Amino acid sequence: MPEKELIRRLLKEADLYRNQGLLSDSKAKYMEILSVIRKSKTLSSHTQLIDGVKSKIRAVNRSLNELKDSTERPELSEDLQDLIKRLFTFSQTKEAAAIEGAVALAKFGQYEQALKEFHKLLEQGVLPVVTAKNMIKCYTALKAPKAAVAQFAKWKTRDFFSMEDLRYIRAFLKTSLEKEGFKTEIPEVGAEPSLPSKAKKKKEEVFLEISAISIHLQGGPLAGQTMDFDVHFQSANTVSVLLPAGQKNVADSLVPGTRLADIQCYSPITVFRSTGTISGAAQIKQGPRRGDYTLDITIDAD
Amino acid sequence: MAIFNAKDRTIECKVVYYGPGRGGKTTNLEYIFKAFHKQTDSEMLSINTMGDRTLFFDFLPMGLGKIRGCDVRVQLYTVPGQSRYRSTRKMVLKGVDGVVFVADSLEVRRKANFRSLKDLAENLKEEGKSIFNIPLVMQYNKRDLEAQGIPLLPLETLEKDLNSKLKVPYHLASAIKGEGVGGTLKEALLLTLRHLQKELHWTK
Repeated sequence: MPEKELIRRLLKEADLYRNQGLLSDSKAKYMEILSVIRKSKTLSSHTQLIDGVKSKIRAVNRSLNELKDSTERPELSEDLQDLIKRLFTFSQTKEAAAIEGAVALAKFGQYEQALKEFHKLLEQGVLPVVTAKNMIKCYTALKAPKAAVAQFAKWKTRDFFSMEDLRYIRAFLKTSLEKEGFKTEIPEVGAEPSLPSKAKKKKEEVFLEISAISIHLQGGPLAGQTMDFDVHFQSANTVSVLLPAGQKNVADSLVPGTRLADIQCYSPITVFRSTGTISGAAQIKQGPRRGDYTLDITIDAD
Repeated sequence: MAIFNAKDRTIECKVVYYGPGRGGKTTNLEYIFKAFHKQTDSEMLSINTMGDRTLFFDFLPMGLGKIRGCDVRVQLYTVPGQSRYRSTRKMVLKGVDGVVFVADSLEVRRKANFRSLKDLAENLKEEGKSIFNIPLVMQYNKRDLEAQGIPLLPLETLEKDLNSKLKVPYHLASAIKGEGVGGTLKEALLLTLRHLQKELHWTK
């Protein structure tokens, strides 16, 4: 193909990719044109043509940089935030749906509004450990480590959490801040509980959706009993279940740290056996489920 | 996940348009919104960023009317195609019932198609679904550019690259001209409703 014809064809391609927003492809094509011109005996001295292509490359680079800088998620209107909550809430129970709505806001970068919602949920005593963890995620996403630590300090003075919960939340906060490179001092609670390793966390991220679990207790006062629970909320491999207020004896025997050697997990596509640990337990202090217990169970990911 | 209300005889399902960035997913929905205006009962919602790129998702609810005595409603979504928005795509895929994969026919987008289909398979897996079982329709978009002399991937290459294992129905399309858009949607809805019938028995 004659050089001029080739350049005309490549320019048409490059311009089309640029118009379609395929900026990297467009830039690559303009670079190809420059290379063809430079290698050409007849066109290499054609400065006007070279300058024209270079100017197009500069324009594409500007667009690419603007795009790179536009990573911030804009704050959406209240209507859009409400719509997001409505569209991305799937749970039947009010509490789990409320958490899902707030999580959806956070996933779409609406961290400040999500924090407001999580605050409300915490005041109502809805799945406090799960709520607290989500709040920490929002603070770290907002790059506000001091606010996260201040919030944790506040939690220490309130009666939302047991000591075990606080230790667990502190460890979660510590890991979250470290992961983001923040070196902020966190008020002590007591001995550090062990958090899952990084490799294990990776597995948690791809954990199946679990709709119900059966726990067969092998130790303690309830040894030999099997208990069934509907899952009210799930975050990776941690599921939250509710226990009626009347089952204090069960709540007392499922304290944080309790190992569960036999858990049957029911997901929409399969049923599987696993093991796990009670990672959080609390009595709901306010709201319609006041008096009931909420248990967080971390299912072993392997 | 589709919602079937046996008492009211209503069913609501979700179809997601997936594919590489700038491949024409939003253009598909825009055309559907214009062409099937009678079936759409609200404005199409788009949350875009600079250069009209989808930032979160596009959303278009449609009413398909009564099918075998059941009031069928469908929610159409698109995902942001750019690779950095993986978590958003995962979120939008939650509860999906059917998928339209909008592949870009441009030769330069061959790898992007691959990557996006792989991303879809992985995200479906995390949702507890398999790309081999979900109702799925392929759309090979931008076919009109062939007339302008722009290098496109031949149909055989697209089929070999993307559909040799899946073996799902495909449609050639030019979303900007509306060609193949209706056909793709109809086939996706047919497959999705047929699949849901097997799961929910909603026509009984």
